[in-house]
Amino acid sequence: MGEEFKDIVLHQMRKDMMVKTFKTGQRFDGRKFDELRPLEIQKGNIHTAEASSLVKLGLTQVLVGIKFDVLTPFADRPDEGVIMSNAELSPVASPTFETGPPDENSIELARVVDRGIRSAECINLKSLFIEEGKVLAVFIDIYALNHAGNLVDAASIAAIAALTDAKMPKVENGKIVRGEFTGKLPLSSLPVAVTSIKCSDYWLVDPSLEEEYVKESKITIATTDKHVCAIQKGKGTMTRKELDNAIEIAFKRGDDIRNVLKH
Amino acid sequence: MGNANPNVKLMKDGKRLDGRSSTDIRKIRIEVGILPNAAGSAFIEWGGNKIICGVQGPRECIPKHGADPYKAVVKCRYMMAPFASHDEHGRSGPNRRSNELSKVIREVFESLIITEAFPKTQIDIYIEVLQAEGGTRVAAVTVAAVALSNAGIPMKDMVSAVAVGKADGEVIADLSREEDNFGQSDVPVAFSNRDGNILLLQMDGLMTRGELGKAMDIAQESSKKLYKLQTDALKEYYEKPHGAKKFQL
Amino acid sequence: MSSRKIILPGDRISDKVLRMPNTYIENEMTYAAVVGMSDETGKFISLESCYKPVFEDVLIGIVTDVRHSGYSVDINLPSSAFVSARDMRTPLNAGDVIAAKVVDVDEVGEVSLGDIRKLPRGEIITFPPSKVPRLIGRKSSMLLLIKEHVGGELIVGNNGFVWVSESADIPLVYKAVNLVIEKAHLTGLTDNMQEFLIANKK
Repeated sequence: MGEEFKDIVLHQMRKDMMVKTFKTGQRFDGRKFDELRPLEIQKGNIHTAEASSLVKLGLTQVLVGIKFDVLTPFADRPDEGVIMSNAELSPVASPTFETGPPDENSIELARVVDRGIRSAECINLKSLFIEEGKVLAVFIDIYALNHAGNLVDAASIAAIAALTDAKMPKVENGKIVRGEFTGKLPLSSLPVAVTSIKCSDYWLVDPSLEEEYVKESKITIATTDKHVCAIQKGKGTMTRKELDNAIEIAFKRGDDIRNVLKH
Repeated sequence: MGNANPNVKLMKDGKRLDGRSSTDIRKIRIEVGILPNAAGSAFIEWGGNKIICGVQGPRECIPKHGADPYKAVVKCRYMMAPFASHDEHGRSGPNRRSNELSKVIREVFESLIITEAFPKTQIDIYIEVLQAEGGTRVAAVTVAAVALSNAGIPMKDMVSAVAVGKADGEVIADLSREEDNFGQSDVPVAFSNRDGNILLLQMDGLMTRGELGKAMDIAQESSKKLYKLQTDALKEYYEKPHGAKKFQL
Repeated sequence: MSSRKIILPGDRISDKVLRMPNTYIENEMTYAAVVGMSDETGKFISLESCYKPVFEDVLIGIVTDVRHSGYSVDINLPSSAFVSARDMRTPLNAGDVIAAKVVDVDEVGEVSLGDIRKLPRGEIITFPPSKVPRLIGRKSSMLLLIKEHVGGELIVGNNGFVWVSESADIPLVYKAVNLVIEKAHLTGLTDNMQEFLIANKK
């Protein structure tokens, strides 16, 4: 994702240069292998949404807006609310992004973020029940605004940051009263995705765009403070040992991010 | 419009519901160069509107057979985020309204961009409405002019746009959402700065010829205020190290 | 630069006909076509522009396709350049990086290249072409300063591709290049760079 043809043909040379730099213990941008880029979280700036967050991870920028609506529940879960996630890779975010319906990259992005939130059961879906045939739906809309690598972690952080700021909408006669709330949306945990990639014998957390170009393997692991809650292995292969290491780093950096989220 | 309702009071003691006089425009903040991956970009907060514009190009025209051997093709996409409206969650993707707005905004910049400088290429203007509160198309035109400047796309002139109209019997500048919804008329209009040419003009609702003339006068005055804000935003951006001021949504 | 005036597209910069880049003429007067400023002498200096190659510009290119008669080369412009196989003593491969000079630009912007040479392995950094003059500096002063501290070679293409030799401290080059991007439009860039490079010396 985000590769231009020149980046594909430059692949081998770029990789050689990177590996040479890794031998000095640093990455092209000066980071250590297990270091995240600077993280900035802004919350609540979109007033038409029930909650929102703009996350900047280095130069990567992702906005998430949360809307509530009243919907008919799924037939097999009549007493549970629903979560719907969607991602828009805006062409402003990268010269390689095109307009048009969601492609496999944006669908995967939305689904990985969605799975972390859903599996962690951080939103109690039963609490979204209104009355028979009516439940609250939580729409999580991910807007990629600048793709400088690792959109998925930025999107995952923005989604959970927005949810921590979400208030329960007031519902009257089966309809949402916009702009009125009945307290905070309760969250039982803070799922956060952390992505690592492999280049030669090196594993790097929070890959930059240049690093994503040269990756041989990629894995995204979402954790809560106790559990692994979602995994998406991308291209390539990995050993059991490498998986263990990736899980270890996902918990460590995940905890760092959770600490930022709590403040 | 369409809901024009004489029973909705939009003026009180000669002031509008948000306290503005008939010619006041809402508070505006413009930030330049917020998206590093775009050739040029800008953000505008205009009252309750929040809009990002990113420009890509000039770049290879796709599809190739759509290229013009004598000039650049200008393309524009206006999009509203699903969470941008006060009401229910919107559908993503283009619709009839966004297609029309993309077209009228594109036509503004087709008149300004010196397209002959880049034959066989395309220049893309992407407008992402993140929060909508009435007047998004004029805010989009105003912010796109700044984003194109930031991209270094050659233009004959700058453009500033505002919606004027009539609410509660009064001719007013910069309609709010309520005034747009319940007023008697809505006239989005864009002027080029140097020669004051009209680049965009639409109208919806009813006005007398006299009222329309007055509305156009107010629009032209407002566009001067907007041009000043555009200039100040660009001046500030080019006086400081880039990235020094963190973009705040 | 607070004393310097910002100039926007459409602002008149002279009531005479001045033929200069990023301006246009109307009714025998000259207007700015891009955002810029006037320097101490009142001369128009553009702050942003879209790169248009001119005769003798140095370009860095990346070979993206090998065909029977020659090579397609990505030169960071809307259309790629074509290098005839006859112009090359040794064949090129996809992924090879070349440095070349602009010999001709036709009316639709297609570029012909000459003085083509293949560059050794290294990193390619993409840089805003409008800021290339600042990265090079007066009489190459900025480039020489950077080279001296990063321990390697740099070739700056006017098209915004920068080739960095394998021997250079690439993370330091990235930081130096980012400093130019942040401050290219401000005065005192050379002093800033000097301080930065000394502070980052290992």
